[in-house]
Amino acid sequence: MSTDIGLAKRHNRATLLFLAPALIFVCAFVAYPVVYAGWLSMFEWDGASDPVFVGAGNFLKLAADPVFWASLGRNLLVALSAIVFQVFLALAIAYCLVRIVPAFSRIFLFFYLVPVMVSEICIGLLWRFMYNPYFGLVNAALKAVGLDSLKRGWLGESETAFLAVVVVMSFTYLGLYVLLFTAAVRSVPESVYEAAELDGAGDLRKFFSITVPMVWDAVRANSLLAIIGSLKTFSLVFVLTNGGPSHASEVVSTYLYKMGFASFQMGYAATIGFVQMALTALAAWVVFRFLRRKGDT
Amino acid sequence: MSAVRRWNRTSTIVLIVLTLHVLMVIFPFVWMIYSTFKTNKEFMRSVWSFPTSLNFDAYIGAWSGGALGSYAVNSLIIMAGATIITVLVSTLAGYALAIYRPRWMPAVELSLTAAMAIPAYVALVPLVVMLRTAGLLDTHLGVILPTAAFNVPVSIFIMQAFFNTLPRELFDAGRVDGASEWMIFRVIALPIARPAMFTVGIVNMIWVWNDFLFPVVFLNNPARKTLPVGLTDFVGEHVTNYPVMLAAILMAAIAPLILFIFFERQITAALIGGAVKE
Repeated sequence: MSTDIGLAKRHNRATLLFLAPALIFVCAFVAYPVVYAGWLSMFEWDGASDPVFVGAGNFLKLAADPVFWASLGRNLLVALSAIVFQVFLALAIAYCLVRIVPAFSRIFLFFYLVPVMVSEICIGLLWRFMYNPYFGLVNAALKAVGLDSLKRGWLGESETAFLAVVVVMSFTYLGLYVLLFTAAVRSVPESVYEAAELDGAGDLRKFFSITVPMVWDAVRANSLLAIIGSLKTFSLVFVLTNGGPSHASEVVSTYLYKMGFASFQMGYAATIGFVQMALTALAAWVVFRFLRRKGDT
Repeated sequence: MSAVRRWNRTSTIVLIVLTLHVLMVIFPFVWMIYSTFKTNKEFMRSVWSFPTSLNFDAYIGAWSGGALGSYAVNSLIIMAGATIITVLVSTLAGYALAIYRPRWMPAVELSLTAAMAIPAYVALVPLVVMLRTAGLLDTHLGVILPTAAFNVPVSIFIMQAFFNTLPRELFDAGRVDGASEWMIFRVIALPIARPAMFTVGIVNMIWVWNDFLFPVVFLNNPARKTLPVGLTDFVGEHVTNYPVMLAAILMAAIAPLILFIFFERQITAALIGGAVKE
């Protein structure tokens, strides 16, 4: 007994020592800045002169700021479109790759992953060409199929800018979810499919009746990943439209960047980040509770 | 593994649809590659046509002036620094998470998971203040430290998943011999962990190389800028010569693509390992 306790004590100390560098890094550069953002949100500050304490002033300003709420709404739209056009589309593609054309799955997966590897800045710059109002490929394609009337400057017009950005995101991140789902779909035992085939089930039937329920845990995990990624999104929006024209494609990150580093309202920028994170944490808590209850039954 | 499937009409249709789709996904990259071999005149005449001859002027044009080379060096320095820190720190922590299970460990795991979900821009303004106070604004180290910190949690989980696959007896044997915990780690765990550390290193190299938010905010001196940040400046200055612009974009994109081509297996394994932890 006593040696067990001695061992446990020794382990406690060893664990702490092994964890210490990681915890120091995460505390210093992730946790502390988040708390510090909460403190800075109580000040009006241009980044150079002395900060002025304004109490809840920034929070009241934020609550009444239509651009912030519209930006947050767009982050949620990005998340929704990511679940439909990245997560669920990727599941269908993964099923096709693993079950229907397995001989080609590796080469397809490679190409789907190319945009995941390349910097979002490069991707955004390339897509600016695709969307170019004069020689862009998107307009050329519309002309080719006789839809001349739909030709427009996709990124420059407020009706279409956000849509155009969301389309690029779907193309860019899809491959990650295809990869994650091919792993999940492969783990479904062959015998289940064989039984269904004896009953004469076709591919569509097998997909909806076997694959989708069997990989549902992966669907949930990947949806969560997509939501987190959507709230983080910055680089693609920055390089494609920088939130414009006139905030039409603004998301929280680009709005914070503009407030903090273009108009130098550092206190207000800190408030935007802090509130965004608090709302996310609240949403995550609600989602987790919801998921746990489902898992318990 | 899966039984060989008979090729039927569905297979053909699926193959055609997927081929068309994947072509749409990678078309911008294919177009970028062949367009860099065109002259600006050719490009202006027809934006989407193939080059009539192989022409390397765009690469020479992009490389001249030396700005891209200096951006690439900055990217390399920051990539190396952040990757080394992240790999060392997350190997130690991932080992602890997998091997020791004190009662408070789930709390540590939960905190690391939460840290993974925090968007980097939330910390942006405070980090600028902290770095300025420490005199690290506009330095490589000022980008390296926060970048490493934000990549540590997911890297820890990848390492933990690796250590979880090892049999426990491996480490207990050392304990019976009275070796210290540090010795067990150094002599037994570290040598077998090398492939996993390498994997974590490769994905971190790609993440850091492509990172944009921290470098664009923390680095203002053109001599310190990284490739993605410098690229946005470069493109703004070369709006009249498209092939040169595209050659510059290609040079920024090529390093991660080369890593991906050579280490596809490790990279996909790391991405799956990092995502499973939710």
